[in-house]
Amino acid sequence: MPGNYTITDKEAGNIVAYLRTLDSATSSAQATGDAKKGEALYNSSGCSACHMIAGQGGSIGPDLSRIGAMRGASSLKARLQDPGANLPQVGEGGFGSKWTQYLMYRAVEKDGRAVEGVRVGEDSFTIVLKDAGGKFHGLWKPDLRSLEKETGKSFMPSFKDTLSATQQDDLVAYLMSLKGAQ
Amino acid sequence: MIAVSLLLAPPRSFAQDVTYEQLVRADHTPQDWLMYGGDYKSQRYSRLTQINRENVHSLKAAWMYQPNHPLQPFESSPVVVDGMMYVTEPLSTVTALDARLGTKIWTWSAHLPDKILTVGVHRSNRGVAILDNTLYMETLDAHLVALDAKTGAVRWTVHVDENDRGYAMTGAPRVLNGKVIVGVSGGDVGIRGFVDAYDAKTGKRIWRVWTIPSPGEPGSETWGKDMSGTGGGGTWGTGSYDPELNLLYWTTGNPAPDYNGSDRVGDNLYSDSVLAIDPDAGKLKWYFQFTPHDTHDWDAIQVPLLFDNTVDGKPRKFLALANRNGFYYVLDRVTGEFVAGVPFVTETWAKGLDKKGRPILLPNTEPTAEGNLVYPDGHGGTNWNSPSYSPQTKLFYVSAREIGAYTVAGKPKVDFPGFGGGGRNALSGDDSYGAIRALDVMTGKLKWQYKMLSPAETSTLATAGDLVFAVTDEGNFFALDAASGKLLWEFTVGGANAESNLITYEVGGKQYVIGASGNCFVAFSLP
Repeated sequence: MPGNYTITDKEAGNIVAYLRTLDSATSSAQATGDAKKGEALYNSSGCSACHMIAGQGGSIGPDLSRIGAMRGASSLKARLQDPGANLPQVGEGGFGSKWTQYLMYRAVEKDGRAVEGVRVGEDSFTIVLKDAGGKFHGLWKPDLRSLEKETGKSFMPSFKDTLSATQQDDLVAYLMSLKGAQ
Repeated sequence: MIAVSLLLAPPRSFAQDVTYEQLVRADHTPQDWLMYGGDYKSQRYSRLTQINRENVHSLKAAWMYQPNHPLQPFESSPVVVDGMMYVTEPLSTVTALDARLGTKIWTWSAHLPDKILTVGVHRSNRGVAILDNTLYMETLDAHLVALDAKTGAVRWTVHVDENDRGYAMTGAPRVLNGKVIVGVSGGDVGIRGFVDAYDAKTGKRIWRVWTIPSPGEPGSETWGKDMSGTGGGGTWGTGSYDPELNLLYWTTGNPAPDYNGSDRVGDNLYSDSVLAIDPDAGKLKWYFQFTPHDTHDWDAIQVPLLFDNTVDGKPRKFLALANRNGFYYVLDRVTGEFVAGVPFVTETWAKGLDKKGRPILLPNTEPTAEGNLVYPDGHGGTNWNSPSYSPQTKLFYVSAREIGAYTVAGKPKVDFPGFGGGGRNALSGDDSYGAIRALDVMTGKLKWQYKMLSPAETSTLATAGDLVFAVTDEGNFFALDAASGKLLWEFTVGGANAESNLITYEVGGKQYVIGASGNCFVAFSLP
C-alpha cells in the first residue's frame, strides 16, 4: 500500500518539480510576444485591480509575482481566453487528495441573501467565500438554503475577443517574465 | 428523554488491577474504557447516558493534550481505568494522563533505532491493552513491551520479528486470559504475516499462526507457487473475541506484491480474510476470505464487530465487517458461514456476492499500465478505523468513503525490499466525499447517512444517549442523532488527516468523550 504519506519532503519536491515541467512541456514554455508591450497592456487593461505583482495591486485574484516560474506560455494564454476553465489543482486535502483552486460557488442563506465568491476555505461544516469585492464570507453550511459550485465561472473577464492574438501573446510574454524576487 | 445515571459498579481505588473477568464484562463498567473497541465484541458502544440527544448541543471542550514533539497524527484509541487514561503517541510512546484534568502523570518512549523500515505503514500507534496492572504496547520496530501501569516501568520486552525484513508494529494488542495477542504490518514489502500469542506474565511466545501457508499446507494450492516467505497478509488490525465460544477473530491484509497478481495465481489464502482462531491451541478453526486474489490493496483489517440477534426465534451469534472492498458482510461467527453481504459504498468491480459470499467479478476491473478507474480507491470504502454498533437502534455506524482511483499495474517486483506491482491515483477531493452511514446490522441496508466534505478515516462511537460521534478529515468533531442521523453538535479543531478513534468514559460524576485530530486529543464534557 505505498501511499503518498510515505514520501519524504525531498521526494515531494522532486514530484512538484516534475509536475511543473509537465505544465511547461504541454504548453510551449517560450513566449513569442513582446514583454514590454505586454506590461503596458497589463497596466492599461485593469489587471492590477485584482492581481498583485511584487506587492503592488489588488488581492482578489492570484498573486502573479512568480507566475512565469509556475506556468507555461500556452497555459497562460488559455487562461486569458477562458479564465474559469481547467482551474489548477492543489494537494492540500487528506491522503494527498487534490482540490480545485479558485473554484466559484453561489450560496443562498436562509433569509434569501445570496453570496457569490471564490472558495478560499472549506471543511464539512463551513465554507469561506471571497466575493468580487475581496470581502470574505464565512458560512455555516447547515444554515444555508443552497450551495452550488459554479464550474467554469470566474470573476476574471475573458480577453479572447477584447485583445488581439498579438496583444494576448505580448501579455503572456510579460507574465512569463515574472519569476519572482531574484 | 431524561438522562438517567446507570447503577455503576462501585468505584475502585485509582488505577487498581484490571482482571480478565472485568474485561469479559467491560460493557458493564462504562465509567472505564478498558480495551480497543470498548469490549471484546468491538462494538465501540457505551451505556453512558449523561451526554445525550437532549443536551449534547451544549458539549464543551474540557481539556486538550498535545505531545511535546509532534511527529505524525495521533491514531490512538485511549484506555481508561479508574480515572487514569493511557494514550499512545507516534512513534512508540505511551503517556498516562489524569482522565478528568488531562494532566500528564508519566510517559514512556521506546528507544528506537535511527532507521526503521516502514513501507506502506503509518508511523503511528493505535493504543495499549491492559491486564492486571500491566500495559502492553507494540513498537514500530516490531517489539512487544510490558509496562507497569502505575509508573511506566518496563516489566519485559520481546522481539517479535525482524524490522529489516519489513515487520513493523502499530496496532493495539488484544489481551485474553493470561495471553497477549498481536499482529504485524509489512504486507506491502512481502512479509509473511502472522498472529502471535505471548504469555502475559513472562512474555514467552505461546503460539504463532501464519497467514500464508507453507508448501503442502491447506491453502498453499491457492498461490500457484511457493510464496509462503513473501505473500504478505499483514495482521495490523486488532481482533475481537468471544469468551463463550473461546474464539479469537483476527483479520488479514493484502497479498504481495500489490496491484499485480500475475506472480501469485489463485485466491491467495489467507490474505484479505478473517481468521477464527482457537486461542488455547493456536489453531485455525475457520476462515472467510473477502477479496480472493486482491489486486487493489483492499486489506481486510477492518475491526470484526460481533453482535447477537434472534433469528426465527433462535438466538444467534454474528460477525459484521464493512470491508475496504466496498461490501458490508454478516457472517455466522460460530461456523464462518456467509449470511448477508451488500455494497455500502459505490463499487465498480463486482456484480455482487454469490451464495457463499464470493464476489462475482465484473470484466475490465484489473489494474492496467495506463490506470483503470475503479471504486472504491485503495484506501477503501472504509479503512482500519472502528465502526460502532448500538444494541438500542440495531444499526451499524461506519465512516464510508466515496472515492475511486486509477489503479496502475506495474511490473511485479518480488525482491525485498522493492516489493510492489503498481500503484494508484485517487480522484480529486472535489470528485469525492465521505459520509457516516447507518446500516441495518443484519442486512446492511442504508438507514441514513450524514455527508462530509472528504472521505474520512474516523471511527464512530455510539452511546446509549442516542448519539453517534465522529470526526471529519478536516478536524470537525460532531454528534449525530443515532436514530435519524440529524446533526446535533459540532466543534472544529482542525489538523490534517484526523484519524480518530473516539471513546467515552466517566470520572468524578462527569461523562467525557475524547478523540484526536492531527496532533491533539480533545476531551469534551457538559459544562
